[in-house]
Amino acid sequence: MSARASTGSRPGGQGRFAQFKLVLLGESAVGKSSLVLRFVKDQFDDYRESTIGAAFLTQTIALDDHTTVKFEIWDTAGQERYKSLAPMYYRNANCAVVVYDITQASSLDKAKAWVKELQRQANENIIIALAGNKLDLVTEHPDKRVVSTVDAEAYAREAGLLFFETSAKTAENVRELFTAIARKLPLEQAGARNLRSNPRPGVDLRPEAPGTQGAGACNC
Amino acid sequence: MSSRPQRPSSPGPEIRATPGAFPSTPAEDNSPTISSHYSLSQAVHARRAEFTKSRTIRVKVGTWNVAALSDTEKDVGGWFIGGKGVSDKLSGLRVTDEDDPKKDEHGNTLDLKDIESVAHQEARRTKKVSSLPRHDPGSLPGGDDIDIYVLGLQEIVDINSPTEALRPFVDPHPAKKWKRAVIEALPDGYCRIADQQLIGLLLLVYASPAIAPTITSVSSTSVGTGLMGYMGNKGAVTTRIVLGETTRLVFINCHLAAGTDKNMVDRRNWDAQQILNRTKFEPVYDGSGVLEEFGPGIGDEDFAFWFGDLNYRLDSLPADDVRRLLMLHTRNEYDSGVLSSKKIESELSKLPNATISGSNHRSSEDSGFSSNTAFTSSSEQSSVTLPVDPHSDPASLQTTLSSLLPHDQLHMQMRARKAFHDGWREGPINFLPTYKYDVGSVGMFDSSEKRRGPSWCDRILYRTRKDVLDYERKVREEDKAKKRDEELQARGVAKAIADDEDVLFDYDPETDGAENDYDENLDADPGVVVTKLGYEDRLHLDYYTSHQRVLSSDHKPLDAVFTLTYDAVDTDLKAQIHQEVARELDKAENEGRPGVTIVVDHHSPDHDGSTNDDPTSASFEGVNFGHVRYDQPKTRGITIANTGRVPATFGFVDRPSGEHQNGASPPWLSIEFDRPSNNQNSNANALQEYTLPPGDALTVDLTLRITSISQVRLLNDSSQPHLEDVLVLRVTNGRDHFIPIRATWLPSSFGRSIDKLIRIPEGGVRKLQHQRPHGSSGGSSTPVKWSAPREVFRLTEAIEELVERAAAEWGMRGEGGDEKPPWEEGLGWPFVEGGWRWEPGKEREGLKMRVREALDTDQAFDTTWTPDVPALWRLEVLAETLLEFLTSLEDGVVPEHLWAGLEAAIIEREKTKSTLSADEERAVILDSLASSPPHSVAFTFLTFMLARVANEVAPLASEPRKSHPKATGRARARTRSHDPARLRRRQVEQSLAALFAGVVVRAPMVGGRERERRASEGRRMRVVEVFLVGKGVG
Repeated sequence: MSARASTGSRPGGQGRFAQFKLVLLGESAVGKSSLVLRFVKDQFDDYRESTIGAAFLTQTIALDDHTTVKFEIWDTAGQERYKSLAPMYYRNANCAVVVYDITQASSLDKAKAWVKELQRQANENIIIALAGNKLDLVTEHPDKRVVSTVDAEAYAREAGLLFFETSAKTAENVRELFTAIARKLPLEQAGARNLRSNPRPGVDLRPEAPGTQGAGACNC
Repeated sequence: MSSRPQRPSSPGPEIRATPGAFPSTPAEDNSPTISSHYSLSQAVHARRAEFTKSRTIRVKVGTWNVAALSDTEKDVGGWFIGGKGVSDKLSGLRVTDEDDPKKDEHGNTLDLKDIESVAHQEARRTKKVSSLPRHDPGSLPGGDDIDIYVLGLQEIVDINSPTEALRPFVDPHPAKKWKRAVIEALPDGYCRIADQQLIGLLLLVYASPAIAPTITSVSSTSVGTGLMGYMGNKGAVTTRIVLGETTRLVFINCHLAAGTDKNMVDRRNWDAQQILNRTKFEPVYDGSGVLEEFGPGIGDEDFAFWFGDLNYRLDSLPADDVRRLLMLHTRNEYDSGVLSSKKIESELSKLPNATISGSNHRSSEDSGFSSNTAFTSSSEQSSVTLPVDPHSDPASLQTTLSSLLPHDQLHMQMRARKAFHDGWREGPINFLPTYKYDVGSVGMFDSSEKRRGPSWCDRILYRTRKDVLDYERKVREEDKAKKRDEELQARGVAKAIADDEDVLFDYDPETDGAENDYDENLDADPGVVVTKLGYEDRLHLDYYTSHQRVLSSDHKPLDAVFTLTYDAVDTDLKAQIHQEVARELDKAENEGRPGVTIVVDHHSPDHDGSTNDDPTSASFEGVNFGHVRYDQPKTRGITIANTGRVPATFGFVDRPSGEHQNGASPPWLSIEFDRPSNNQNSNANALQEYTLPPGDALTVDLTLRITSISQVRLLNDSSQPHLEDVLVLRVTNGRDHFIPIRATWLPSSFGRSIDKLIRIPEGGVRKLQHQRPHGSSGGSSTPVKWSAPREVFRLTEAIEELVERAAAEWGMRGEGGDEKPPWEEGLGWPFVEGGWRWEPGKEREGLKMRVREALDTDQAFDTTWTPDVPALWRLEVLAETLLEFLTSLEDGVVPEHLWAGLEAAIIEREKTKSTLSADEERAVILDSLASSPPHSVAFTFLTFMLARVANEVAPLASEPRKSHPKATGRARARTRSHDPARLRRRQVEQSLAALFAGVVVRAPMVGGRERERRASEGRRMRVVEVFLVGKGVG
């Protein structure tokens, strides 16, 4: 995998540190850039120009006391004419967020096509999350929804994807989405070479080595 | 023309952005704005004050040589955890404070008077139960007052027994027995965090439930220094721990070489040095998921505790004298009349009178290393409570001890800097020597045959990081002072010789240099120990005493209690700070990314005026080339401006588009920057990068040119006459910009087959574009318009006319010119370069484009020329175009299938008749081609034209050229077969035939023998040549 884990040696860090490449894919105007903007800057614009290119941003999240994950996010253009360039971004990605718009049926079809392409062409260990965006639109007007949660969830389960319905506008499930991906990433492998000593805080309470039986010595 | 110097198509190993490769990521660069684990950790560390909290704990260190005696473990809980068995009178420790009476667990006030008497204790002693005195409430802090218990035991097995020494594995039972005894005595929740055994040496570390989870990086190791210097009968067991992610502690439990021989002192020193040198721990897990360095040893910690049976003795004192002197004190512990008292009295009576008086009382404080003003010694405390200062009371125990201590080998070695001199310190010794007693006795020093001299064999030393640094600085300064002294003396002596004796002065480096000692530390708190990680900790020795009333071993146990104040990491707070820092770094990183703005120049003038007549062009945000034609370069400009706040480095990266193309641009597009790239000297295949400072801009010329005939065919046949592609401009550490490229193809007559060409409607191939419902190819369904491709007809016709005119014009220039006519310079003239009067170049290319445009739009050539273009030039351009046109034909004038029949017919004739007349040959060829009239007619146009050209450029005598009377005269003079004109004509015919046979006949050379190939080649040439010969010969 192309994930990098740091081997730095400065005090005061925070446990394991791993970097992962994440790519956003999906039809034009489903809200890929908005999701990233929400995740990275906690902002939302009602009107965003369509992405012509691939925006690059980084965002670090702490999974727990001792695990830090830094995402290197490539937010790609959704327009059809740039489709042929997508492999540049997903081919060595560790994880992908495939976004659709829950108010546009065609966007789910497109998302499924992306998932298929990823499963065929991308890294075989890629973690894929399916995100049904614009949840805010249907909370006010439930009739706007055209993709049901149940259907999308069933598809995601079948295809082995993480699944979230999100709203970049209200921030609902945005952080959860990225955190779920981080948790699913192979942190152990990424950081294995840095973890020769006890990775947990506190005392190592594993069974003792043979010859120094200490069972019962500790009643912690 | 532009040869795309920036982006050669062959990919090389140095291409950084191979198509499909994930974009290289910023963290791989060394940009200062990029957060990495390193900078994140640094930034978190810088804010450590916000997430560390000062914590104060008590650490108890105990050591006991149990002499492999059974049931010693029964006492360990009592003295080590319970703080019991301290004899108030036999140690300087005055733990009984009238104002703070001890209470038992029920809250009842305990009185030391209730403690079992020594006599009773000794008398009732059995191995079944603890030898400790009953009703001892404990006089040292213990239980849950202590957070970390560190116990060093020696001789838990018989180390002199060969079975123990040579055992291939460690017998777990003795250690297990001890662990059980300790854990039973510890309060609930305490757990063992380390244990390490080396034969008789056992080190056990326990921590309270509050502290245990904050201990990390536990590493234990053993060093054997016994037999052969390596066996484990002597040596050390050592544990390193990290407290609260900040403070490193090392505990060394050792048993050094025994013996009273003088040389054994050196051996003990050697053992200690070996332990220092050979102890190596696992690397520290620094709390960042990161191993710090490999194999740190002793000296890297913040606080070290060295204890055990160091075995140093009292030097140069008769053992009996010491025993007697000390037993004078211990007998006071006994009520007179009891058995043990009698025993000690009788022992005393055997001993000679003491030769040691209390006069030589240098107290341990005076020795200068064993105490420090930073630490409140217990003797100072006691001096307040005692009515008489024990140091000045000649009868006091302290006076006796003080008289013995100067003879302590350990202190002597420290002073001599032979061992434990580098920062190690010890609390004041206010207790009796811990060795050697009769087992079962409180105060009877070894009454056995050997009568070993009492010694402080068992010790607890400690040092801080600051102590080590202070020592090192002191040594450095002494070295400096010594050098300075030597220099001064040398100079002084020299001066004294020259001058007065008064110049000599007494310089004592010890005192003079001392004035400067620790200058830089004057305002620093001397108690503060700055740890390896920069935290400020403190260590205070509270107690240091022996447990005189432990009877089960010949050594008395010894312990010390320390108060340690350190900064411990609060993990919740740290996580919070960490998140904040990460957010800030991300923000800085994302906001500090370089940014460029790309402006497409939409107003580039198009020299043919056909700009952007594409209706969709208005909404197109990329680079639109408008209409493009075969081999017509078109250039568009884009401007790249650095609109960010930092310098931006960028370049066009390879894209994964299509099967065959994956450079930075399609083969028909070249990219030219207005300046050299950053890495212009590197491998041409490497990504070319350009750097702009903020506010600066550069321009890039994109030149589109379609020269590949296969590309032309693709476009001609496509239902979508558009060229579309996307360039990817990558800003290092920033985003990728997509630049869509678009052009509309204007169909060309080039690259088609004769079958398609004859179906092109009147008005040229462009008409086709507007007519077709789908497909521009003019398939077999469209009606045939012409008997042969109109383009061939028009070109051959024009060439015939122009070759005549050019020859005539040349003649008009008269005889005066020395210049040879162009056709005499090259035999393939005007079709190939030799003799061309108009050098290839932009102007000529432009004219060729206009000729092609005239063909495709069915315009007369006359509209192509400006009047100033001479016939000679026009001829050359048309001739070159014709050859290119024929080359571009999909099938050729004589396609493969026709050639197969033709060659077969020729071979047939060759067999039947030895020689054929030219007419016969021509008949065979035309018969054979007749099966495909369009090809046949095209062939006829060509050969007819070639014959006319040959006649014009190499006329024969029988056909004198009116315009060239002189040449005619010469030619007439030599009408014989060997005259030069006829010879030249032959050469011209052969050259033209060879040139055209190559483009006219499209059959692949059938492999096989060289002779056959040569024969086939000859036939191909002959097929053209035969139409040129004889024609003019009349």
